[in-house]
Amino acid sequence: MLSTRRPQGKKRSITDTKESPYARRRRRRSAARGLPIAVNIAPMIDVSFLLLIFFLVTTTFERAEGILASDLPQLGAVPAVPLPVSPIVVRLTQTGPGHADYTIAVDRFQNVPQDFGALPDFLRQLQQQPGFDKQTPVVIVAENNVRWDHVVNCWNAALRAGCERIAFGEP
Amino acid sequence: MRYGRDHRRAAGAMDFNATPLVDVIFLLTIFFMLVARFSSAEQVAMELPKPEESQAEVTRIPQRVVINCRLADPDDPLGRLVLYHIGPNLPEPLAVISDRLATMKRESPEVVALVRADRRLRYADVRVVMRVIAENDIKVLNVAAHVAEEE
Repeated sequence: MLSTRRPQGKKRSITDTKESPYARRRRRRSAARGLPIAVNIAPMIDVSFLLLIFFLVTTTFERAEGILASDLPQLGAVPAVPLPVSPIVVRLTQTGPGHADYTIAVDRFQNVPQDFGALPDFLRQLQQQPGFDKQTPVVIVAENNVRWDHVVNCWNAALRAGCERIAFGEP
Repeated sequence: MRYGRDHRRAAGAMDFNATPLVDVIFLLTIFFMLVARFSSAEQVAMELPKPEESQAEVTRIPQRVVINCRLADPDDPLGRLVLYHIGPNLPEPLAVISDRLATMKRESPEVVALVRADRRLRYADVRVVMRVIAENDIKVLNVAAHVAEEE
């Protein structure tokens, strides 16, 4: 049995922490019984469970949300720089409900891909032609009943092609 | 008769070792703390556009006004009733939203508009909001979309 009694004749060091009479009595009693001093972890488990349940309930696994930024024209103001004569006008038409429920047309150009996945390559090819580059404005003209998803897809395709000036036109 | 702890042990009673349980709970708690993403109250639940190879970027804009455009009945996309509301506010007519935007523009001239529109809406339903934003001289328009999935 371990003795908790201080050796006789040895003075108390200044680094010794003060012990309350109650704590000393409890320590001596435990030592006398041969019991280890235990930490009560029940409150910690309670709190941990509460935290776990909170995060289980509040966590939602969703795709992150981002933004596509653009500048709006000032209504009624005269544009400082006149628009070039030949912007790339992309027209979107809704053909009906369903998966491929839209058509894509580009003014003055044929063989336009009917898929937003292939549209960036088409726009990049246009940028290689004389009179066109990344600064050439791309005007998206969508009919009123075109789904917003397709409009954003078209905008995203123009961004993927590296177009730096994208505008919305009136149908 | 003594009912001390040493007596129970001596009698061979089963003891419950809580250490692995605490370990697992802590690991789960830390996992959920790391992956939890608390959505803002102004981000009303809706189906956002999901462009292919999305160029949308996750950025924090301090001075922004969020305009939510959503279907009144998400289960009936052909219902055609569209609700507009600023942030977590109740739905309001576009004329009221226009007045609120004008007030915000007066109070903070650098305010930026963020349009969160359901992907199933018609372009015309969103274009009226874009027009209201432009009429109130807000120059920057951001549109919410899902970001690209990480490989």
